[in-house]
Amino acid sequence: MINAKNSERNLQNSIPTRRIGRLGEGLEVALLLLPALLLLLVFTVWPTLNAFWLSFHRENLLGTERDWVGLANYAEMLRDPAFWRAVGATFLFAAIVVPVQLLLGLLAALMVARPFPGVALFRTLFFLTTAVPTAVAAVAWGWYLHPVGGTVNRWLEAVGLPAQPWLTSPELALPTLAVVTAWAGVGFTAILLTAGLQQIPEDLYEAARIDGAGAWRQFWHITLPMLSPTLFLVALLTVLTSLTAFGQIHLLTRGGPMESTTVWIYRIYQDAFFNFRFSYAAAQSVALFLVLLLLAALQFRGLGRRVHYE
Amino acid sequence: MSSLPRWLARPLFYLFLGVYAWLLVLPLLSLVSASFRTEADLFTPGLLPPQPTLEAYREALAKHPILRYLLNSLAVSLAITLGVLLTSATLGYALARVRFAGQSLLFGFVVGLLLIPDEVTFLPRYLLVQELGWINSYWALIVPFLASPLGIFLMRQFLKSLPQDLFDAARIDGAGHLRTLWYVALPLAAPALGALGALSFLGAWNMYLWPLVVINQNEMKTAQIAIAQVQSVEVSSWNVVAAAAVLVLLPTLLAFLLAQRAFIRGIALGGLKG
Repeated sequence: MINAKNSERNLQNSIPTRRIGRLGEGLEVALLLLPALLLLLVFTVWPTLNAFWLSFHRENLLGTERDWVGLANYAEMLRDPAFWRAVGATFLFAAIVVPVQLLLGLLAALMVARPFPGVALFRTLFFLTTAVPTAVAAVAWGWYLHPVGGTVNRWLEAVGLPAQPWLTSPELALPTLAVVTAWAGVGFTAILLTAGLQQIPEDLYEAARIDGAGAWRQFWHITLPMLSPTLFLVALLTVLTSLTAFGQIHLLTRGGPMESTTVWIYRIYQDAFFNFRFSYAAAQSVALFLVLLLLAALQFRGLGRRVHYE
Repeated sequence: MSSLPRWLARPLFYLFLGVYAWLLVLPLLSLVSASFRTEADLFTPGLLPPQPTLEAYREALAKHPILRYLLNSLAVSLAITLGVLLTSATLGYALARVRFAGQSLLFGFVVGLLLIPDEVTFLPRYLLVQELGWINSYWALIVPFLASPLGIFLMRQFLKSLPQDLFDAARIDGAGHLRTLWYVALPLAAPALGALGALSFLGAWNMYLWPLVVINQNEMKTAQIAIAQVQSVEVSSWNVVAAAAVLVLLPTLLAFLLAQRAFIRGIALGGLKG
């Protein structure tokens, strides 16, 4: 309101209000900056710094005070087989999620990138998993893979194969969770890849057709090279999200059986909230941060490039 | 593929498309199917429930405060979305359209924050929220997420791309920054705001780890973590669990179907937390 009055006065007489205008501008800039900045400082910057601080401390038995222990948490972490198992599970998980999700998403995107009668319906169906919350996806698959009533085991039995303990065997649980995760991400991947495919100029394909290139050669020589920046970006995003997958694991396996699905973030969660070793968990989260930072830096370069293009 | 005659290629394409879509959607269909069954019918083969019934929904709603969970999620997601739109628009505008000392430094700072994942900040953030006495409250669920570096970045990029003439004209008309933001920048940014809003809403609605650690009172739970609660109570009553899951799915599903364009643009634009 003050500002509205100022500007009206500004219009009537520019000379005496000039200083007031200046003052108003300073206030305005403060109003524009401060809310967001304060929130970021308190809830993002401070916790980030505190994560490092915590990781150099250790809580006493009551959990009330923390003593400086230097790098002791990190040293323990590097010697902790449970930590390395979690790291191994995390990368194995990502190594399955990323190719499966990219392939499924690419297949969907290739089919719906160009218009055809009914394309809207199929786009909706292919992009649908973006609207499915992680918890719902987890429950849906929990039932879909049910040892007795699940559709997948029904099919296996129908063709004479034994039903599988998808989520209850230490060998199968992690790959199964990875497939569930990839399924949940198909819509996301398909949306980004469809956008990427639509940016490939149509005349490239026309020229190729005139030269007699078939669909397969067009795919290898035009689509794939032209799509590769987007593919790279989507792959990185998928790595990032798969390295921090949590909800589906919590709902479907609780890190089990025999800790086979206790991934990095799940380990952190357990150490902090069940073993009450907050600072040890903080050290593990700082280590995870360094891995994610490396990937995020790559992704950010991609993001910056894309925004420039738009 | 090119060697196939056209009259054959078309139907084959549709057949493949249909089968693929069917397989992708099947886990959801089987969830919906389970939700319309009685517990006795759960293991009867076939996708269609033999005797469709709303019994599981009645039981889920009677035994669990599902509407309360959904309301919690809705309130939290809407509050976060509004907050993110507001803080992204204001700081994004300041970074794109105002000149002040340290601006590029501030922009670099925001870009730097883009690289910090929630998974790293959640432990100290938990301690902070605990100290503030916010455990088991909406404050804990909402306030830490009211400002988003990604949102600020995206709004800044968008507002930067608008022609300078518009802002000069507003200035000559005597409009201050707040008026310019409200009457000039935001109307033009409506598509970007819609996309950012959809992205924020989806991200907030999907939050799992954070509500899990800051909420342990049942009636404060969000829909996502309430599903874990329902599942641990209804161990073998998969029809009830499925009904609860379908009820939690409905809001985002409807929002997606109604505002598909905004969702797709939001994901294509930011794409961080699909």
